[in-house]
Amino acid sequence: MMSSNPVLRIAYLYPDLMNLYADRGNLICLQRRCEWRGILTSVQRLEWGDTLQGGADLYVIGGGQDRQQKLASIGLSSRVADQILSDLGDGAAMLSVCGGYQLMARSYRAADGDVMTGLGVFDAETVHPGDGVPRCIGNVVCDWNNSTLAGFENHGGRTYLGSHTAPLATVRIGHGNNSEDGTEGAVVDSAVGTYLHGAVLPKNPHLADHIIRLALARVAPEFHLDIMNDTEEWAAHRVALRVAGVDSSWVDEVTKVGDTRV
Amino acid sequence: MRARRPLAALAGRSAGRLSRLIGRGGGSAIGGLVASVIDPRFVRDSFRGLASTVVVTGTNGKTTTTSLISGLARDAGRRVMTNPTGSNLERGVAAAILPYMDWAASLRDPASLHAILELDERVFINLGTKLHPSVVVLLNLFRDQLDRYGEVDATAAAFAASMDQIKSATLVVNADDPALVSISRSHKGPVIFFGMDGWCGEDAPDVWADVGRCPECNARLEWSWVVFAHLGDYRCDECGFCRPLPDVRVTNYESRGLDGATYVLETAGGGHRISTTLPGVYNAYNVAAAAAATHGLNLDPGTLSSVVRTAEPVFGRAERIEVGSTTLVILLVKNPTGANQAIDLLRSEARPLDVLLLLNDGVADGEDVSWIWDVEFDRLAVDRVTVGGIRAQDLALRLKYAHGEEIADKLYVQNGIEAALNKALAEEPRFLVILPTYTAMLELRSICVRRGWVTPFWRDVA
Repeated sequence: MMSSNPVLRIAYLYPDLMNLYADRGNLICLQRRCEWRGILTSVQRLEWGDTLQGGADLYVIGGGQDRQQKLASIGLSSRVADQILSDLGDGAAMLSVCGGYQLMARSYRAADGDVMTGLGVFDAETVHPGDGVPRCIGNVVCDWNNSTLAGFENHGGRTYLGSHTAPLATVRIGHGNNSEDGTEGAVVDSAVGTYLHGAVLPKNPHLADHIIRLALARVAPEFHLDIMNDTEEWAAHRVALRVAGVDSSWVDEVTKVGDTRV
Repeated sequence: MRARRPLAALAGRSAGRLSRLIGRGGGSAIGGLVASVIDPRFVRDSFRGLASTVVVTGTNGKTTTTSLISGLARDAGRRVMTNPTGSNLERGVAAAILPYMDWAASLRDPASLHAILELDERVFINLGTKLHPSVVVLLNLFRDQLDRYGEVDATAAAFAASMDQIKSATLVVNADDPALVSISRSHKGPVIFFGMDGWCGEDAPDVWADVGRCPECNARLEWSWVVFAHLGDYRCDECGFCRPLPDVRVTNYESRGLDGATYVLETAGGGHRISTTLPGVYNAYNVAAAAAATHGLNLDPGTLSSVVRTAEPVFGRAERIEVGSTTLVILLVKNPTGANQAIDLLRSEARPLDVLLLLNDGVADGEDVSWIWDVEFDRLAVDRVTVGGIRAQDLALRLKYAHGEEIADKLYVQNGIEAALNKALAEEPRFLVILPTYTAMLELRSICVRRGWVTPFWRDVA
């Protein structure tokens, strides 16, 4: 049955720049959850100045400080950008978090007024209202797919979605995209953007598996992702809900019957 | 409104006494808070005419370094005022000066008084510069509680902006931290560098390090060696920016695990053989910083070896507590760099270790616990590990992803600090190393006080 283990090629974009809120926890989570299911992973770390060696089935990028984000934006030169966009067009998946999410949208105007052009994966624009305006900081809980997503956010920029991009989730506690319209994150095809860190995937195993499934759809559409024992994952999720003052009974219901897949 | 200051001093002193009287241990800064509220200019107006003022700031090591400099100055017969352990905001500084005032809020014999103060890196720009410091020690700059402190670059920018206001101070700077060295280049006064003198180890900074690129021109830095995080020997092939040769250097470093370390401190005045119970290479940096600061104070470095030899770990910083047949060692961890250093220390231990990890998410701990994913928990090999605190489940999850599901057999989860401590002590381990975040440490220590294992910490303050 395990004779042909699928291989997921993961590209980790700018780990040397976009690594602020321990988003490498997402990479650790994806690798482990694949490994535990017999899916092989190869990880290509694209550092600043590097070019991508071949494509990838899953792109991962985290958050960074403004200075580093500017560098990353410059580094996403046309050759790198073309490869990413071509892979995404061909069904590759992406998880972009915070500053990485901003870079994957159309543009980001930083606190100093500088405008960085993004890849345009998401039809969205981000504006930093300036250092005088409070950042969006705190625990976040969102509604997603009849379940909750829990994490922490810390961003100055406010992201506004255009008509061609759907939000990932609906904010229950916290700010989300812009603390105005109740949206959080963005989804286009198999690309996901979010402001949640914590890191987001370990304590949201249903989102982690969702991303893995999106990536697998291109590589091994027949592969069945086994249900795992996610007791520790949901325990941490439950604590995050409780800390944010949100009822966690849905988690108890789901984990009681042993099916942790949402 | 000069009349305010005596009132502020009186009220502050009374509040401090009351706090001690009713046994609220952490109340050492309460008096300072009261004084600063009554007279917002209390601190900056009070620090005038002193023999010297030393300000120690940076992310990690402030408390230990301040304690070492105070020890060296006292040993040289100086009158020393310092802030209560770890109380490094304005209120802590106010609390430090209160006992040296008379009833009119005038300092008694200020010309013989040396203030040696640790300052939170956030308050340095607004407060540190107004204390007219004669020596400013910049220890290091790591990411720390981003929800409170903001991004590291912002702190660096604030440091850089303050250089103009401390022109006459002697700057003591970690030569191995590129961001701080870059900042020090705009300083007009004297600069003394401290650092390692060569190191065998990694040749690249941690993947998540905050300074991987040249602070002057953004090109990629090249490293000959890295001690930990981004501290090491670096150069920029693009613009020529490089590590300066330290004036005070740590050589021949040998770890004795949790028991301490031996090394030689090379200074302008010759080499000093150091044997200390302060464990870890991060403490060698603190000792080197303290030694460099004594140059700025014109203290005789001759007593360095003896002062460092007898220096006891300060409150929660590798503090030891004997409980029956178990030795507790408390290593306060506040950020990934500190936690990774603690793990390195445990790796250098030959003895079997039980570990208790305590993670809270209070304001003083940082409400964002994501930093535990930057901690190299896969390097932590333990016989038995208990996790506790409000976010114990986050730690359990982190350990699962670091070690796989096998960790479950030796992992215990208890949210309550006391319950977690009981669980960790149940098997009567020979050594129990406790890594708590700040509020978890306070709670842990109050449990230890209640059980009669230690004295309240404010009694430790001279």
